[in-house]
Amino acid sequence: MGKNILEFRHVGKKYGDNVVLKDISFDIEAGKFYTLLGPSGSGKTTILRIIAGFDDATSGDVYFDGQRINDVPANKRQVNTVFQDYALFPHMNVAENVAFGLQIKGVDKKTIQERVHQALHMVRLDGYEEREITAMSGGQRQRVAIARAIVNRPKVLLLDEALSALDHKLRVDMQTELRQLQRQLGITFIFVTHDQEEALAMSDQIMIINDGKIQQTGTPVDIYDEPLNHFVADFIGESNIVPAVMKEDYLVNINGQDFECVDAGMKTNERVEVVLRPEDLDITTPDKGKLVATVDTQLFRGVDYQITAHDLRNHEWKINSIHKTTVGQQVGLTFDPEDIHVMRYNESEADFDARLDSYEEEE
Amino acid sequence: MKKHSLKWSTIYLAFVFIILYAPIIYLVIYSFSAGKTMESFHGFSFQHYMDLFADTRMITIVINTLLVALLASLLATIIGTLGALAIKDSHGKWRNSLMSLNNVLMVSPDVIIGASFLIFFTVLGVRLGFISVLLSHIAFSIPIVVLMVLPKLNELSPTLVDAAYDLGASRWQTLTRVILPAIGPGIMAGYFMAFTYSLDDFAVTFFVTGNGFSTLSVEIYSRARQGVNLEINALSTLMFIVSLLLVISYYFISQHAGRRHHLVTVKEGDAQ
Ligand SMILES: Nc1ncnc2c1ncn2[C@@H]1O[C@H](COP(=O)(O)OP(=O)(O)OP(=O)(O)O)[C@@H](O)[C@H]1O
Ligand SMILES: [Mg+2]
Repeated sequence: MGKNILEFRHVGKKYGDNVVLKDISFDIEAGKFYTLLGPSGSGKTTILRIIAGFDDATSGDVYFDGQRINDVPANKRQVNTVFQDYALFPHMNVAENVAFGLQIKGVDKKTIQERVHQALHMVRLDGYEEREITAMSGGQRQRVAIARAIVNRPKVLLLDEALSALDHKLRVDMQTELRQLQRQLGITFIFVTHDQEEALAMSDQIMIINDGKIQQTGTPVDIYDEPLNHFVADFIGESNIVPAVMKEDYLVNINGQDFECVDAGMKTNERVEVVLRPEDLDITTPDKGKLVATVDTQLFRGVDYQITAHDLRNHEWKINSIHKTTVGQQVGLTFDPEDIHVMRYNESEADFDARLDSYEEEE
Repeated sequence: MKKHSLKWSTIYLAFVFIILYAPIIYLVIYSFSAGKTMESFHGFSFQHYMDLFADTRMITIVINTLLVALLASLLATIIGTLGALAIKDSHGKWRNSLMSLNNVLMVSPDVIIGASFLIFFTVLGVRLGFISVLLSHIAFSIPIVVLMVLPKLNELSPTLVDAAYDLGASRWQTLTRVILPAIGPGIMAGYFMAFTYSLDDFAVTFFVTGNGFSTLSVEIYSRARQGVNLEINALSTLMFIVSLLLVISYYFISQHAGRRHHLVTVKEGDAQ
């Protein structure tokens, strides 16, 4: 475990009577790429603004490098922000924008020039020093904003939906570049997005936020494979979420049919939900299938077919398959025990982790 | 059809401009006449200009007028810009009341403002003269400046200020290095407007000038009442040329500033 650069302890935020953040606690390890992922209005920007110091937490403590910083003003924090609208200074050219932070700190002219040059090189904008901001494209402006932030060598860089204004191709390019830049600089990045693909592609750690609460924290693989609850399973990737009953350890009953699974540590006959990812469902002949279903729709998406089908109990299934079927045809659906992921109702993240540890150690 | 209407509109426009500018041209031509009246042209001469430059009273008044205009617009620009910043920072009801107070001053007739200043100064026992004129000019110029600066402030993205703090700037540095330069064009426009309003104000000034002090508009008015003097024509011609130069220089300044100012709008568009 690395050192924690930033810690939130029971942070709450209210605007009047409107509770925006509820008891948020997390640790940010130095040098990693974190993503705050959540739907619109979930409180992502509010968390960033509290880290940067633009807004105060209503309750709770924020620690930076072990020091409580609730009362440290924004201009004294070793944190820099890349704003969603870039917030470049319109009356300055590219080099002046990037140099702003260093000038304020009173760094000497020669050093400023060197570091501005270096920062622009890192974001691949060599030679753009004298350009006016208007003469820059959206993607270039964004790089200027990044250069303006990293030139100050902050310990933590905050990026608020930094890529949302870009078109798909540029966005994917910038994702790779940002990730590279982060590794190169060794700075902790906290990246805000509501795009789950972006989060999965870029992060070391993802924090999923909904309704002012952290739902789950983990690596992209953990979160995708072992979502904690209905919200996370639904928000990350595509999924079939089905109510089920846990018969005993490693045996779950879905729609009256028993299936072997790899989850344990729950009460006998506990009501649970089961997640099956569409790409984990395979299509075979009806007699070989664990479930039998009739194909309703089929959509070709380039890499695979997106198929919907309904089973004998009229429950709808989403299947992603590289093999073509025919609409109206009866097919069998198979999956392996490890494709089933069981979720308990209202389980906290701590309880979930403890339960996982308890039965994984037994094996 | 289109061509036809275009032609008519051109003629109409030319007609309007001729009517607007004819009196000025008429006045300018007679300023070079050798005669004493504007009844007929008596041959070319600079006589009236010589008279004007020899008229020390008139020269003093011109200097006074310029001094009042420069000082009043400068102070009004400073106060008005600070006022606009304060209005921008205020919220809800308070903000609306401030805006309304500002607008009431904008629309109230000069005569009313002049009369109320006269009463105000008499009650306070302020001697009428340079100070009273200066104070009243500052007062009626402030709302103009506020009106020119506030829209520019509202155009600024609020994250611009956050960005300045984020990069380590203090409140003062944020104001002087980010906010003021970004609203610069609005401040310049406010200054020029205040300057021209002060320069040609008659109604307010008429009430608050004392015996020893006068400005151009008031002086020209009192001279014109005693019969037309072509020295006035010469003066008007010079003033016309000065205003023309002012307008042209303002155009070039705003062209230059506009190029940079344009960015703010573009940026906001992108953020949507
Ligand atoms: N200054 C404010 N005053 C009152 N309410 C606010 C203020 N700022 C944010 N909120 C509220 O706080 C909640 C969270 O806002 P926040 O901006 O953090 O959301 P977000 O997760 O960043 O959303 P988005 O993805 O749309 O940017 C929203 O319901 C919003 O209306
Ligand atoms: Mg946001």
